[in-house]
Amino acid sequence: MSDTMQETSAVLEARKAYNETLRIKADQSRATWFPITLMILLMALPLLQFTGNYNYMLHMVLLTASYVAMASSWNILGGFAGYISLGHNVFFCIGGYFAGMLVARYGWSGIALAPLAGLVAALFGYAIGLITLRVRGPSFIISSIALVMIARLLFDHWKFVGGANGVTLPPTELSVQWAKLPYYYAMLFIAAFTVWCSYKIKHSKFGLGLRAISKDEIKAEAAGIDTRFYKVTAFALSAFFVGMTGAVWGEYLTYIRPSIFLVILIAAYMVLMCILGGKGTIAGPVIGAILLTAFNEFFVATMGASELNILGTGVIMAVCLMFFPHGIVGTLARKGKLPKILNWD
Amino acid sequence: MDQIIQVAVLGIGLGGVFALMGSGLSLVFGVMRIVNLAHPSLIIGGAYIAYWGFKLYGIDPLIMLPVCAVILAVTGILFYKAFFERDAKSATYSEMTVLLTFAIAMIVEGALGAAFSNTQRVTSPVYATDAFFIGDVFIPKGQLYAGIVSIMIIGLLAAFLKYSRLGYAIRATTQNREAAALLGVNVNMVGLMSFAIGIGLAGAAGALTSFVFSFFPAKHWEWVAILMSLVVMGGMGSILGTVIAAFSLSIVAAFVGTWIGSTWSTMTFFLALFLVLLFRPQGLFGEKPELV
Repeated sequence: MSDTMQETSAVLEARKAYNETLRIKADQSRATWFPITLMILLMALPLLQFTGNYNYMLHMVLLTASYVAMASSWNILGGFAGYISLGHNVFFCIGGYFAGMLVARYGWSGIALAPLAGLVAALFGYAIGLITLRVRGPSFIISSIALVMIARLLFDHWKFVGGANGVTLPPTELSVQWAKLPYYYAMLFIAAFTVWCSYKIKHSKFGLGLRAISKDEIKAEAAGIDTRFYKVTAFALSAFFVGMTGAVWGEYLTYIRPSIFLVILIAAYMVLMCILGGKGTIAGPVIGAILLTAFNEFFVATMGASELNILGTGVIMAVCLMFFPHGIVGTLARKGKLPKILNWD
Repeated sequence: MDQIIQVAVLGIGLGGVFALMGSGLSLVFGVMRIVNLAHPSLIIGGAYIAYWGFKLYGIDPLIMLPVCAVILAVTGILFYKAFFERDAKSATYSEMTVLLTFAIAMIVEGALGAAFSNTQRVTSPVYATDAFFIGDVFIPKGQLYAGIVSIMIIGLLAAFLKYSRLGYAIRATTQNREAAALLGVNVNMVGLMSFAIGIGLAGAAGALTSFVFSFFPAKHWEWVAILMSLVVMGGMGSILGTVIAAFSLSIVAAFVGTWIGSTWSTMTFFLALFLVLLFRPQGLFGEKPELV
């Protein structure tokens, strides 16, 4: 009896030591300074406004940050748990409308309301997840598209929120030079917070459970993971950050209408950014968001047509899926060529 | 009473078109396990062929129908060769292909939008705006013809699946891919043929659609959700189930449109999809819950 006890403790001991070496190895190859430096540089960027007008640059960073937040958020469900949702812009819309209506009616601040808007989106996510997460694979993807269509139909005809014309929000009172700043910092903060949270989630027991679900749900269930609770919580969490982004984005644009939030292209971007960068990695969605926003801006500036833009997005997505299904970070990591500064996992 | 018959007649007319649209989708899913989100965008492609055939040469969309079907079937073969022949054994094949067809849908939409702009179009042969009257019941000729032609095509498809050798092979592959392969069915060839037939049906549906609905490139997102609701409700891969779902939901949608408001008639399909997912995820005729 004591022999087996001793053996077990020896095994546990060995496992602990092994885990420790793994941790040290991971720490050595991690460049935490890189995201922190990047963040400090971006925080300091508005100082340029003292020397001239850099509003366009600020807008681009803000737009990228919003996509970073949304893609990282989508990654929690789509990347970790493997449930691909093509309807996540519904939560973008819910967050935007919740905060936007309060801003329009009572003059509250959209930025301050963002966490609350996120919570509301998460509640909706939880409720919707209870229904749609009963199925997996293709059926789940289909149900997420139907969700967008339902939301579009409702918001287009709901008189209280202005129907298809939407609602105009009061513009900010700041001068042109500083008008973007509050939104800039808010979005930057949300993006950083989302990335940090997705890192924390990936390295928690919860994240481990999600990854088990994405590998083989039946085995995960058999291993004692409450898959239903895990999935629905992941859905609600990933709705939370998208909802926060929506709240700030709506106030930043100073108007909310269904055609901003509920277009399939935004949902497609979230998916594509994650696939391009690497599904299920931390740095992947960030890189995907930066690349795709840059590509998009370049495309619109040179070609100008949104139809061609849709075509281009489709082509990138098809090429990615066929030739790099693991995305940039995933493919590089598999070849062992991932640069240190991109290893955020 | 007359009003009820009237609405039911309109619903049945639309149901025929939706059944044709959905049956191609169902066929492809049954054989290939591909949820083809690009199907509705290809239907719009077919509608454009019929539209330009009518506009430029005055050819009736019903005569253009076989042309549309053949052109789209060839497109289907090309798409199959380009996108879907690769690693069909991969575990995430069905999820990867959903995203791939999503990308194709965007490519088709973008190409059509760039070529023909996003204006609403509709083919207008004389019968499109004409109608029969039986008593007080008014039957629009366009929908009637489209419904009849759809039902004829679905009948032909059913006979083909039931009596031809390729039909046997397709049904066998749908039931069990490995067993069919063991018994000497060339499953890759069957996949290719069913893809061609499925997309060809999309072309045929497009020709009918061109005078029943007005269309523009981005319209297919609405149809994606409608058609998917039919396929899911019918039990994914069951053509009979899809056809039944198409007729019943279209009739319900017609009543919703008359009594509650026309904007809400499409809502019927989306809500039906959610209700099916909630209470019977394998659909009406589905047999394989593990794949749903």
